[in-house]
Amino acid sequence: MTAALLLQSAIIGISIGSIYILMALGLTLMFGMMHIINFAHGAVYMLGAFVIYYVFFQGGAPYFAALVLAMVLLGAFGYLVERSVYRPIKGGIEPTLVALLALTTFLQAAGYPVFGQLDKHVPPVFAGTRNILGVMISVERLMIIPVAAVLVVGLYLFINRTRLGAAMRAIEQDKEAAALQGVNVHVVNGLAFAIGFALAAAAGALMAPIFKLDPMMGEQPLLKAFIIIILGGLGSIPGAILGGLMLGLIDSIVATALGAEPAFLLSFVFIIGLLLFRPSGLFGHA
Amino acid sequence: MRRAIVLVVLAVLAVAALLVPLLGDYYIHVFALVFINIILAASLRPSLNCGQLNIGHSAFMCVGAYTSALLAKHYALPFELTLLAGALLATVVGLIVGYPALRLRGVYFAMVTVAFVEVIRLIAAIWVPLTRGNSGLSGIPKPNLLGFTLVSKSSQYYLAVALTAIALFVLWRLERSRLGLTWRSIGLADNLAQSLGVNIAAHKLLAFAVGCFFAGVAGAFYAHFIRFLFPPEFGFLVATNILVYNFVGGRGHFVGPIVGATFLSLLSEPFRGSAYETIFFSIAMLLTILFLPGGLITLPGKLAELRWWRATAAPTPSPAA
Repeated sequence: MTAALLLQSAIIGISIGSIYILMALGLTLMFGMMHIINFAHGAVYMLGAFVIYYVFFQGGAPYFAALVLAMVLLGAFGYLVERSVYRPIKGGIEPTLVALLALTTFLQAAGYPVFGQLDKHVPPVFAGTRNILGVMISVERLMIIPVAAVLVVGLYLFINRTRLGAAMRAIEQDKEAAALQGVNVHVVNGLAFAIGFALAAAAGALMAPIFKLDPMMGEQPLLKAFIIIILGGLGSIPGAILGGLMLGLIDSIVATALGAEPAFLLSFVFIIGLLLFRPSGLFGHA
Repeated sequence: MRRAIVLVVLAVLAVAALLVPLLGDYYIHVFALVFINIILAASLRPSLNCGQLNIGHSAFMCVGAYTSALLAKHYALPFELTLLAGALLATVVGLIVGYPALRLRGVYFAMVTVAFVEVIRLIAAIWVPLTRGNSGLSGIPKPNLLGFTLVSKSSQYYLAVALTAIALFVLWRLERSRLGLTWRSIGLADNLAQSLGVNIAAHKLLAFAVGCFFAGVAGAFYAHFIRFLFPPEFGFLVATNILVYNFVGGRGHFVGPIVGATFLSLLSEPFRGSAYETIFFSIAMLLTILFLPGGLITLPGKLAELRWWRATAAPTPSPAA
């Protein structure tokens, strides 16, 4: 592997890692507050990509408008899921998990009759390549990095600088105490669902011009996001960011050297190995 | 009520076991798959009773299936040996991956089991010289049991019935034994169980291994019944289905997974192969979780309650009267 190829796969790794971070942030946020694992995250990623297909490609709307629309629509869907699935189950972890699994398989299976059996393709949004330190990278992949960075910084500021963000942190520390201080736990949980779904939709929307679209496309990013949040520690936001970058780099460099499937296998073996020595991840405390 | 449910379930299984072969090959095929699903669902129970949410059971079915198929295909070993080898290798793999994973609790464990499924599926897909990878392994011989090849579908069906009966009997005896009670105590309050001197890690591992063994049995039979193995067939969806059988049937009683596996397998059968299979499946799953949290086995009790409520409520005159 030459230095140029290594650099190229590293930059592509950061770009893929940004997608993983967007997926993992929502998962880790929802876990921190509600102790649930949102299996529907992959299906939401898929729906985000299909919004781009219909609104940007078929409808002719500007790309970033379609991206924002995907985030708004699926964020609203997230709030609805909290209201109609999570809240009625009243916090039972196992039933919630199974219900979210059911929602996932429903969305994926319904995708076939609704979106059609054939794979869909979205034409490139940003054409051309850019020369970075002597290697050529497609602008399409480069663009993912600033967009993801804006979303991550936005989330960070929201959580740390606003009253609602403070309410989220309060619920994460102690749900009952937060409720006693006047935090409307249901609404704030619904907000966490909405944010998580919107970030997953953004990830799908960013990947839509790069990969082919089919109802099962969210499965792999979901599994990657699981690995990342185990790696970074469940509930830890810095852990999700660092884990996402690490996995993106491992993925891209190992996949260039050995092929995609061995890279995937390696990341799983790595995570099982890590858990042997640090059962709560790199940044976990629980 | 519970006793009645158990009797009904046993009666239905016995009738199905005896009468289905009269209905023809299609029904034989469908019901043999139902019995495989019953073994898989019931074998997840020991782990679930220990409070371990295992979403990776299809990985061990996969190990059992490939082991049995390859031994029979390349070494012409009889089914009784390949079945045992498949089940034992599934157990060994379960012990190897289960040992580190069982130190994890709750959701961490659930997510790692999701990783197992992918690891095993990817190994089956990548190890092409052995498994033929994603082209699929074909030419698996029909089960050769005690020197007789089971040629007809109905004889293979009776083999499935026999395997299911043995598996359910063993699992039921285990659940009712002191060991089963210990598992249950770990699931209910692991700290308390530990304070009473229960070795939690060892018991969780044992429960997990028992489940892997029977998943291997189910896989081995599946291999010789379908006679074609394809790595994506053992993916995440199958693993979640096994878990779902338990929740939809009901976690509170041994017959829960049996009811769940039978109900969901038969319900989705008319749509098999189309997207509507999964759509119906997932709707049934969601409705049960939301409106019948105890699973289908609590349905008769709920209905009786409703009737009692109506009967007591009816004589009360309404304010308008």
